[in-house]
Amino acid sequence: MSVTSIMIAGVGGQGLVLATRIVASVALAEGCDVKTGDVVGLAQRGGMVWGSVRFGEVVHSPLIPAGSGDFMLAMEALEGLRWAHLLKPGATVLLNNYSIFPNRVLLEKDVYPEDVPGLLKARGLETVSIDAETMAEEMGNRKLANTILLGALSASLPFPVKTWQGVISENVPPKTVELNLKAFDAGRDAATSDNH
Amino acid sequence: MQKVVMSGNQAVARGFWEAGGVVAASYPGSPTVEILESVKAYKEIYSHWAMNEKIALEIAMGSSMAGGRAMASMKHVGLNIAADPFMTFTQTKTNGGFVLVVGDDPGLSSSQNEQDTRVYARFANVALLEPSTPQEAKDFVKLGLSLSEENGTPVIIRLTSNLCHSRGVVALSEREEKDIPGFVKDQPRYNMLPPHANRQQIFMHERVLKLQGYAEESPLNVLVPREGSDTLLVTSSLPYCYLMELKPEASVLKLGMTFPLPVQKIRQLSHNYRQTIVIEELVPLVEQELKAAGIAVKGKDYFPFTGELTTDVIRAGLIQAEVECSAPQATVEPSSSPRRTPMLCAGCPHRPIFDVLREADVTVIGDIGCYSLGILEPFEVLNTVISMGASLGMIQGVAKAHRYADKVRPLVATIGDGTFFHSGLSGFADLARTEENITIIVLDNRTTAMTGGQSTPTTRDYLKDESLYGMSIAEILVAFGIRDVQEIDQFHLSKTRRVISEAMERDGLSVIIAKRPCALNFKVVNPHFFVDPEVCIGCRRCIQVNCPPISMHTYPGIDDSKSFIDPKMCVGCSVCSQVCPVKAIKSSALLKKGGGSK
Repeated sequence: MSVTSIMIAGVGGQGLVLATRIVASVALAEGCDVKTGDVVGLAQRGGMVWGSVRFGEVVHSPLIPAGSGDFMLAMEALEGLRWAHLLKPGATVLLNNYSIFPNRVLLEKDVYPEDVPGLLKARGLETVSIDAETMAEEMGNRKLANTILLGALSASLPFPVKTWQGVISENVPPKTVELNLKAFDAGRDAATSDNH
Repeated sequence: MQKVVMSGNQAVARGFWEAGGVVAASYPGSPTVEILESVKAYKEIYSHWAMNEKIALEIAMGSSMAGGRAMASMKHVGLNIAADPFMTFTQTKTNGGFVLVVGDDPGLSSSQNEQDTRVYARFANVALLEPSTPQEAKDFVKLGLSLSEENGTPVIIRLTSNLCHSRGVVALSEREEKDIPGFVKDQPRYNMLPPHANRQQIFMHERVLKLQGYAEESPLNVLVPREGSDTLLVTSSLPYCYLMELKPEASVLKLGMTFPLPVQKIRQLSHNYRQTIVIEELVPLVEQELKAAGIAVKGKDYFPFTGELTTDVIRAGLIQAEVECSAPQATVEPSSSPRRTPMLCAGCPHRPIFDVLREADVTVIGDIGCYSLGILEPFEVLNTVISMGASLGMIQGVAKAHRYADKVRPLVATIGDGTFFHSGLSGFADLARTEENITIIVLDNRTTAMTGGQSTPTTRDYLKDESLYGMSIAEILVAFGIRDVQEIDQFHLSKTRRVISEAMERDGLSVIIAKRPCALNFKVVNPHFFVDPEVCIGCRRCIQVNCPPISMHTYPGIDDSKSFIDPKMCVGCSVCSQVCPVKAIKSSALLKKGGGSK
């Protein structure tokens, strides 16, 4: 079993640390060795945040060397573009259709890139766009966006749905378990029905 | 045996619990904040957020003297503050196991310097262990506590940012209780005055020799041989994991203990290889020590002395050293994408203060906290960031130099409540009688915000939570004899502007305490504001208060771009509406009452 590497990219405050932990726990529950990397600190104040999850029989390093990643979960479009070089050609990006402008864009000193899905495709990456924010709002809670994205990611990974459901249930507030499991299913459906 | 996924920080907490630890103290600082947060889940351990790292270390030191296993954790620069007790405590023969867990920050992802804690190990004559995985973080804490008791030494566990936050699989064990004899009077042991302290120099010297003997034989320092290779790589910590990933054509000696070093073992091993190369993050400590012992090694010729050594950086160094790696290498160019720098949160109470100071165009001596972000564009208000509490001393020095040079002008400093209690109290006592024109703005947001919202002595006043330890900064300063102390609500912008500008006109010390709480930590949310694009003149004054929800926007049917507030991100602090020259920004609360116009 070779090592599978997943990059998770987003912005401070998007709940990326929990997402990283959930994927890692699923991999462990399925008997894999697993390592993750995270950046926190100043990133909490609207800076860039990333997490890496790597699983397989033996995983040495938590970091993904450039050009070797298999999947990316991009919670924010620009951050997906920023880390695209970590992926190997033909890797899959699950792209949350959501933009948070960085400071220099707010100040009109930089321009937010147009058509991130197109830029990712131009790099030879499979890109699946997910409208997780809108879906979450329709389900009544914006915080569900992450679970929707995890559902979308799960469609690409070799782990049973039951394991995902178990780990998610253990990691979200008890009152929100049912809603989160619904969000997970919705994300999984969105990723599988989407024509890339 | 149960296995779980844990971060390096969580594993440290677990190891301390399993080893029968009883007292853990810390001051919050990235990357080690999560250690004490995790310790709190273990009810057997007394956990304590101290006012600063020195006090944290002293609390742990007391427990150790009484025979209770103890841990102090802090970020690397915190050890500078704790160094005073540490450098003398190390002279005493340690009783209950004592580990000092320090988080270094190669690459400075959230710190003001890049100092290497390994230097302290030699300085203090103590053993230093460097785990490379969360499992080792747990194991090394337990081993460190045993080594501490067996050798009468404090032990430093050195982590780095990436290890603190990275997760791996950790096998759990049960807790082992230790007998705690209590404090036993022993004058020569704990009274570090001559002649006792003189004797302890010899004790420490012999202790290091004994630890060196241990290092030579210890399974902590392990060779991973590669048949037929002519290169020996000596490494430790996370770079070891990156090397295992790269699969170089070389044998690897992994050092779990980097002070003292197993010099004889390395000398003998190096005879079997054409070249020996040290791969270590930050200063060439191992490299220099081996060179001093007459062993021919290279290191910083190939690897940088600053920043993190990642897989990609190590690979580049190995190529230079002509060591092949069997792991495939891909060359992929990053996309050009706009930088994303940290910024003040929506509703941050520091924003109006920075807006006023920018307009005042004054020299501002800064301090450490979220408000350090005031150095960034578009405010660029803070003119210095050095160390915790430094603003209060520095501002006196600047004032005196100005006076000598006949360049007297008003000076302002900003300091938060966390930093005030960490190391601002003596600075204020020192400033109390100054005759220079100095204005200090205390940004009392009722929490240590930057590190995730730990409470400070002013949290109680905001939360009305009697279980918290409460103090009033104004009352403390008045007790110091400072007469010119005012509290303000900085969300009243015009009043704030007036109070600050009047204070800057008065000689002597003026203190302004800005009392709005941290919007993020206390989840302060009011009805959002919106821009009326028909009224907005596109002047960008609101953009210059730099709030995450506010950007320029193209409205349908309007040619010029006008400002726009993302209602999902706005928390209704009102500051942008107060700077708008044409009153184009209004509260959505008015809409609900039917008073708005849209």
